[in-house]
Order: sequence, then C-alpha cells, then structure tokens
Amino acid sequence: MRPENYEAIKQPPSNEFELNFGPNHPGIEGNYAFRVKLNGDEVLSARADAGYLHRGFEKLMEGRLWIQNIALVPRICVPDPVPMEVCYSLAIEELCGLEIPERAQWLRVMQLEMSRLAAHLFAFGGHAATTGMYTPMFWGVADRDLILDRFEELTGGRVYSIYNIPGGVRRDMPDGFLDRLGALLDYLDSRLPDYDSLFFRNQVFIRRARDVGAMTQEQALKWGVTGPNLRATGLAFDVRRDDPYLAYEKIDFDVVTQPGGDALSRNLVRRAELKQSIRILRQVIKHLPSVKGAVRCPIPNPLAWNVPAGETYTRVESSKGELAYYVVSNGGDKPYRVHVRGPSSMHAVQVLEKLAVGSRLEDIAQIMFSLDACPPEVDR
Amino acid sequence: MNELDKIPVRQEISVAQGSVKRSNPLANVFDELVRFCQSRSMFMLHYCTGCGAIELPPAMTSRFDMERLGIQPMVTPRQADILLITGYVSVKTLKRIILTYEQMPAPKYVIGICSCTVNGGMYWQSYATAKVLKEYLPVDIYIAGCMPRPEAVISGLRDLMGDIKSGSASNWKRYFQNYDHYLGNQQKLFDEDWQTPTDIIAEAEHYGLITDQTLGEHTALLQKHQQPLEALEFSLGEKREKIRGENQ
Repeated sequence: MRPENYEAIKQPPSNEFELNFGPNHPGIEGNYAFRVKLNGDEVLSARADAGYLHRGFEKLMEGRLWIQNIALVPRICVPDPVPMEVCYSLAIEELCGLEIPERAQWLRVMQLEMSRLAAHLFAFGGHAATTGMYTPMFWGVADRDLILDRFEELTGGRVYSIYNIPGGVRRDMPDGFLDRLGALLDYLDSRLPDYDSLFFRNQVFIRRARDVGAMTQEQALKWGVTGPNLRATGLAFDVRRDDPYLAYEKIDFDVVTQPGGDALSRNLVRRAELKQSIRILRQVIKHLPSVKGAVRCPIPNPLAWNVPAGETYTRVESSKGELAYYVVSNGGDKPYRVHVRGPSSMHAVQVLEKLAVGSRLEDIAQIMFSLDACPPEVDR
Repeated sequence: MNELDKIPVRQEISVAQGSVKRSNPLANVFDELVRFCQSRSMFMLHYCTGCGAIELPPAMTSRFDMERLGIQPMVTPRQADILLITGYVSVKTLKRIILTYEQMPAPKYVIGICSCTVNGGMYWQSYATAKVLKEYLPVDIYIAGCMPRPEAVISGLRDLMGDIKSGSASNWKRYFQNYDHYLGNQQKLFDEDWQTPTDIIAEAEHYGLITDQTLGEHTALLQKHQQPLEALEFSLGEKREKIRGENQ
C-alpha cells in the first residue's frame, strides 16, 4: 500500500463501532478471533471468527492407516490430548470387538485423570491472567509441568504421549512410577489450599467473575454445553458416571455441581474436580498393583489392519466436556469417515457468541477462559 | 557541541552500514555495544499460531524462565523484535502472520518452531496449511521437533542471541532485498490481488536495501491491484453506505 493510496476509513458518527478481537491478542485463548459490535464498551453482538487453526483433520484421517491416525488425533486438542487417543482407540476396539485387558483399562484411567489435572491447572491460570493476576498462572503452569514430567517418564512425550493404541497401551509402567506419582499427588493436594487463598477465594477474582457470562440450565442444555460448564449450571451429568467406560465403574468419585452458571461457578467446579481427580488417581495407585497381566491384547499387523465394516459412536469425558468420535469403516485399512464431536466447538462458537452479548468488552476473555474453550479443537 | 550530538545515531551504526561514511573511530565499538544490547533485550510477539505455543508458558514462567535471558512477551507487533511461529500455519493465519511481520520494526527476527514450519510436518497432505514457512518469510532459526521442549526453545533463542551479537542475524534484510520473490510466493498462495497496508518498497528505500530482486513482475502486479483500504465489511455496512450517499 503506497501512502498516496491511503484513505482514512470513515466510521459512522455513533457510539456503535465494530472491533476485531484477536487473533493476535493477549486476552484470547490461542489463535482465535471475534468480531464484536460495541456500544461504548458494552457488547451488542459477537461473531466468532474461527478457522485460523484449521488443518482438515477429518479429511487427513481418511487418507491414513488406522494406526497412523493415533499419532494424529492428540493434535486436535493441545492442552488435553490424552482423551483424544483414548476415545479413538475405544472406537476401533468397539468396531473390532477387542476386549482390552484390565490393567490397560486402569492405565488409561490414570492417564486420563493426569491429563485432566494438567488441563485444569492450565485453565485457571489462564483465567487469572485475564483478570490481571499473573501469579496463579505461574503457579498453575509450574505445577502442571510436574505432571508433564510424570507423563514423560511414563510415555516418553511431554505433551503428546501417543501411549494408547487400539487394544491397550504401548508398554507397562517403569519401576517405582506409582510411588513418584503418589508423591506428586501429595504435593498437589498440599497446594490446593494455596490456590484457594491465592485465587479461588480471592475477592478480586470473585467480584470480577460473579454473574459474568451466566447461563441457565435450560439454555445450557439447548446450546449443547457439556462437561464442567454444564455442571456449573447445577446438572450433575458426567459421562464417567452416567455412561461408564474403562474402569470408571469401579471407582468412587463425586460429580461436583455449582448452582450459578457463571464464570465463578465454572471455575469452582474445576477447582473441585482437581480434588476429585486426585482422589481417583489415589484409588488407581491403590488398585493397580493388584491387577496383573498384559497391557494390551493381541492385534493384527497394524500396517495391514482391515477393521471390520461398521460404524460406532464412542464418548469420553475430557476436561472440556463430552468428547465423542463417530467412526465409520467400510472394511478397509483406512477409516471411511471420522467425525470428532469436540466440546469446545459448541462452547467457543455458539455459547460464547450468546454469552458475550450484554457483557463488557474486557469480560469476553474471561468468558472464553471460564468456558475453557480450546481453539485447535474448534477449528480442527 | 552538545555531548549528545557526539553519540552516533542508530541508522549510522547498524542499518546503513557501508552506505554512510563513518567518521567516528569508535563506530565499531558502538556497533558491538548496540548488538550486545539488542541481543539481551528482546521482545517476543505474543501470538500463538499453532500447537507449539503450549510449550511457551512453561518456557516463560517459573520453571525455565525465559525472562532471565531478557526475553519477554510483548502484545503488539510494533514493539516486538521476535516473531515466533509456533507450529503449522494455515493459509488464513499466514495472511495475519505476514501482516504482523511487515508491521514489526527492523531489525526483526523470525523463529520457526516445530517440524510443521520446516516442511509441513504431520500435515504434509493437508489442504489447509502452508507447508514451507521460509517461502513466505525469511526465517532466522528453525527449532525442529513435535513439539520442541522448553529447553530446545530456549536453546534456539540463545542461538539467535549469539547470531545477533555476532551480527550474522541479518535475514530481515533479505525480505527487502528479495521482496519480489516473497511476494510472488504469497500471491501464488493467496491471490494475485493480495496486498497488505504496509509499504515495503518505501521501507526498503529507507534502509537502502533496494536491489535488483526487490522490484519485479510481482511488485508490478501489486501496483496494478492497489486500491484504497476497504473498511471492514461488518453489519454496519449499510449504515456506512447511507452516510457515503449523504456525503456525496
């Protein structure tokens, strides 16, 4: 653009104006954008501008072998990758009729809960940063790193572990892993009161987050909200309890709810789930040594694996909400169609657009972080 | 003569080397000093373009603490020195990346993190991503891995600091010197009427970096398609049309 061609954009003489919020904006989670229409600093309407992270996963998966896709799926949701692997593996196991060994089931539960802990620690730090408090973010990220260390020891990867394969998990735990995990859980448990006094009971946070982005239970059900966000409206729905998979039937845990439906309630639900995840992991540590046997069942040569024709819909509870895979096989060595039902695509697009209306501009980031939306999963 | 006048201005030192006659005998010492200072105070643009950005919070916060190297996140491109491309770039993001890069003041450095910026990585067959980042922007350092650990990110940043200190990190000049090449690749991907609101050619003139490859058939196309900036077409469009009609 040459300067002589530059002409100032004329805006109508009005309080109303439109603003691009993101993608290059520190208040937004990941690479995501909004076009907001404002009156002063009050949001009149918001329009999600997704697609910055679109990679065409569902198409890419049709061009790769069943086993190759295992490496692809965790990339869909970066902060919480393990449920992606587990859910996809469960889908293939259902299509093939594979019965996975009990030890593998417990190992998967262990990973899922470790991943949930890591994701929740990351999420509340992000929310704190949007309200101007950076210390919770530093604490959350540092403690999350300790969980990633355990992931690295168990699987070899910090973020993307690719530990699950159809039929079980790749290998057994290293010696003494459960002791170190137990020590980590003790540490995290001792940190929870610190988080409370720093963030969850902090008046700065409570006054900022209360009544921001509130929705009723009816609205939440109508808009397809799941996970902690739905539980924050008072409905105790959890796929782990209501449609149990893996070893969750044998595990004792509470489904935590909060009545408010606002940003504060959503964060308090996550705070309570930290406690529940630690509780589940303690049960896993207690139970796992008594479960002997293989960690995976025999599978055909994965490079020439023709999964029987059929279709299936499997779902798990990820840290963001209900995650489901709809997988269709036509009997070939590649999937015919894979559809990912991610929780964030509902939360970050249709829910956020509606919740942002009437709020103030500075609260949009808060609403987004309290919904814990994950942009790579929205765009896929 | 004021004391301040004796200090050589920045343009004489680092940017227009060779083209300006250097009368100060201490110029080389100042050069080194300035490069040292530049390498120890870098602002990194806070733009998470892909999944590698998940390893940046650990690298920036307590455990690995990038700030001890003088590297801090910065929210606006106008004050940033480093553009981190963290992972795959979809075509839609690449437009924003180029726009961001052109807004950054020189000297500026691009770091491509993750395998996806090198050759497409996991998404080599994807219809939605741009595969090789260096076709569109001059990249100073690549940090390979999927994804690179925080230690690797910090190691890459230290390499960049070393390059800046020794004066060899001058890839930003290549964008001005070979603008036609980069613009051609961009036009191939986006469309031939692709344009950004920055004037790269005038900037190249300013830095004295116009070469034979700066102008060419692609920049000619740019001149041809150049139009005044269009206001973003929002729902206010109708209202604006009405106002325009009233003005006329």
